[in-house]
Amino acid sequence: MKNKRPLSQLILGDRGFKYQLIAPSIFILLLIGIFPLIYTLLVSFQGITMMDNDTSFHGLQNYTALGTDTRLWEALMHTIIFTCIALPIELLLGLLMAQLFIDKLPGRQIFIALLVLPVVVAPVVSGATWSLLLDTRFGPINQILGWFTGEEVTLLWTINPDLVYPSILAAEIWQWTPFMFLLLLAALSAVDKSQLEAASIDGAGYWTTFFKIVLPAIWPVMAVAILIRGLDLFRLFDIVWALTRGGPGTMTETISIFTYVKGFQQFETSYTGAVALLIIILLSVLVIGALKKVEIAR
Amino acid sequence: MAGTTLSGWDTKTAVALVAAGALAVGLSGCGKGDDQGVSGSYDTSGKSSAEVAVEAAKPLCADGKTITIVWEAGLQSLDPIKFSGPKWTEATGCKVEVVEVPTSEMFTKIAQDYRAGSGAYDALNVIPAWMPDLVQMGALEELDGLVDKYGYRGELQNIAATYRDNQMTVDGKIYGFPDDGDVFLMYYRKDIFARQDLQDAYKSKTGKDLVVPTTWEDFISVGQFLTGALKKEGTFGASMFREPGYGNFMFQERFRNEGGKFFDGDMKATVNSAAGVKVFNDWLTENKFMAKGVEKFGFVENLAEFVQGKSAMTISWPPYGRFAAGYLENEEALNWVPKTQIAGKIGYALPPGGHPELAAGFALSVASGSKNKEAAYLFIQWLNSEEISNQRVQLPYALRDPFRNSHFENEGYKALWPDAKDYLAALGDAAQTGLLDLSLIQTDKYEEALRQGISRLWAGDNPQKILDDVAAEWDKITASVGTDKQKAVYESWAAKSGAYPN
Repeated sequence: MKNKRPLSQLILGDRGFKYQLIAPSIFILLLIGIFPLIYTLLVSFQGITMMDNDTSFHGLQNYTALGTDTRLWEALMHTIIFTCIALPIELLLGLLMAQLFIDKLPGRQIFIALLVLPVVVAPVVSGATWSLLLDTRFGPINQILGWFTGEEVTLLWTINPDLVYPSILAAEIWQWTPFMFLLLLAALSAVDKSQLEAASIDGAGYWTTFFKIVLPAIWPVMAVAILIRGLDLFRLFDIVWALTRGGPGTMTETISIFTYVKGFQQFETSYTGAVALLIIILLSVLVIGALKKVEIAR
Repeated sequence: MAGTTLSGWDTKTAVALVAAGALAVGLSGCGKGDDQGVSGSYDTSGKSSAEVAVEAAKPLCADGKTITIVWEAGLQSLDPIKFSGPKWTEATGCKVEVVEVPTSEMFTKIAQDYRAGSGAYDALNVIPAWMPDLVQMGALEELDGLVDKYGYRGELQNIAATYRDNQMTVDGKIYGFPDDGDVFLMYYRKDIFARQDLQDAYKSKTGKDLVVPTTWEDFISVGQFLTGALKKEGTFGASMFREPGYGNFMFQERFRNEGGKFFDGDMKATVNSAAGVKVFNDWLTENKFMAKGVEKFGFVENLAEFVQGKSAMTISWPPYGRFAAGYLENEEALNWVPKTQIAGKIGYALPPGGHPELAAGFALSVASGSKNKEAAYLFIQWLNSEEISNQRVQLPYALRDPFRNSHFENEGYKALWPDAKDYLAALGDAAQTGLLDLSLIQTDKYEEALRQGISRLWAGDNPQKILDDVAAEWDKITASVGTDKQKAVYESWAAKSGAYPN
């Protein structure tokens, strides 16, 4: 038969010491994590707008409006396009660079430090820098192209519909490929050398070794890197905002920009709450699915 | 019975009621701040409005009160930081804290402060087109009572007509003092238009005299000709704002000068009418005789093009005229302005059509959540007064433009550079015929749709299709606000003298 101990003893006793230690963290987590979530949920069922601080219950009105908001679904589609293109390219380039730097090259540390620089730049600064680089008249990219063509080049990188996605993707990939590179370099460095030597002795080729030994060894790290970057790309904002503000029209508007415009420029507060909840649900499903897939959820 | 009063209440109840009453009085006192009520009148006889404001503010500022004012970040805010703020502190004892906010965030910050009830701001700079939104929200204090109390109505009448009649009131009540003559003017190169060879060539080509264009058709004709004649010398016929944020203002001006109306009698958007399509098509035509990449031109790009002598005509806000004249170009705060190559060669005129846009601008308001409303009011009355505003509009580093009749006649201002009198005369003309920015409930949503349309124009979409989409979006916004409600606001706006050309 178990001895029942009063709650106060459980909390205040010696064994409760551990709860006392983690209590502040739990409290802060609840305060900054759970409370906003619950509050957003609450607001999403109300009718608060710029004009009307209507906190009465509006049922599913905001959620049904989501279904017919074509701009929202287009923004979601743009986000998915950015993610689906940038993520594999960053992964592939990061892996290639990591493979290159896994060997002890002369000046390796200096090159790695230089390669990592874009990651430490704030995305909004990166966006502003690329905006200058891509400037139609004074940007160096058009000037360099002009040297090759022999005439003035005035490509409208952030306006022309054919160039606007490549421009944003170039900036995004430039900034975040080094992040992939760093994680994958660390993972590659941890691959068991004895296994590689054994494979070599057994006559395994480069690709066989890579797919049978290296990839399985780095997969947990790679999966986490994909997950982190995938989530980052899903909330892509700064670079797009700095380069196009979601234009031309709403052609490059991401879900984050859409949410910002609705919430903080147009003050559609309750509707934005519903959008935020939609994003949280979508991302949660994706993350849980991904974690299960790579078996690190446990 | 012990503890029982004559009224029958026991002592505890009585004490509780007294305490509650005291608390209520205390709380109401806390919330009241410096408000002394707007009723009654102040003895203003023989004093200027600036003197009245200073005298009335002194007792309110005796405890070293701080007035917090929201001001556009950058050059604009150098006025209260370097000039008017310290001057007010010296005169009254009230400190002035300037909260610098980028224009794009000003509405949001003001709205957030009001919604949060934090009372962080006392006085505000408000873009007049936002007034209906902010008034409806409850964020602005109605000023009629204080205007009457401090006898300011007379000086308000001396604000140039187009600002006074269009940018001060909502539903007939005063919510802000127009404080910035932000109006588009056309700037042109007098030396180019005076060249005999160009005059002869234009005459033989078109049969017309080469003069500053007063219609958009002439503007295109002259612009094309000048580009053809001067491109080898590195000068284009014209340059213009094309970046959508600025294009929004230019479209609104030009659309109405071409006869366009924003809505019909049923409040259905008509921005996609022939006038709108003509404006878009004309823009595409004009871009062909302007510098490549003009689609990206904002304030600074266009300014650089003009003051460096690379374009013969442009349209912009009043500071262009001062910058191009080289007025105090050695001022440290203006070191970002490209050095002018055309000082002494600039002419000033109304843009083609004759009805320039009162693009953005600023009015001074009092935040309804302020705990220092009266002191804040007195500060903005003082800023806006004849005496002080005449000094403020001449500050070389700030961007407040002439807006009072007396500013256009100011002899000191006329002497600031050789052509300053012509500049003031053109601004004076613009102050009679200017067109208001569209101002509705949720104006920014309408403007956002238009800005997106302009960006699609530069991306190559069809003008009619773009404007049809903009009109459809406007109709959706109107429906979401409530057609009848929005119609009433629009009709009130459209009834103002500056809504449409007469």
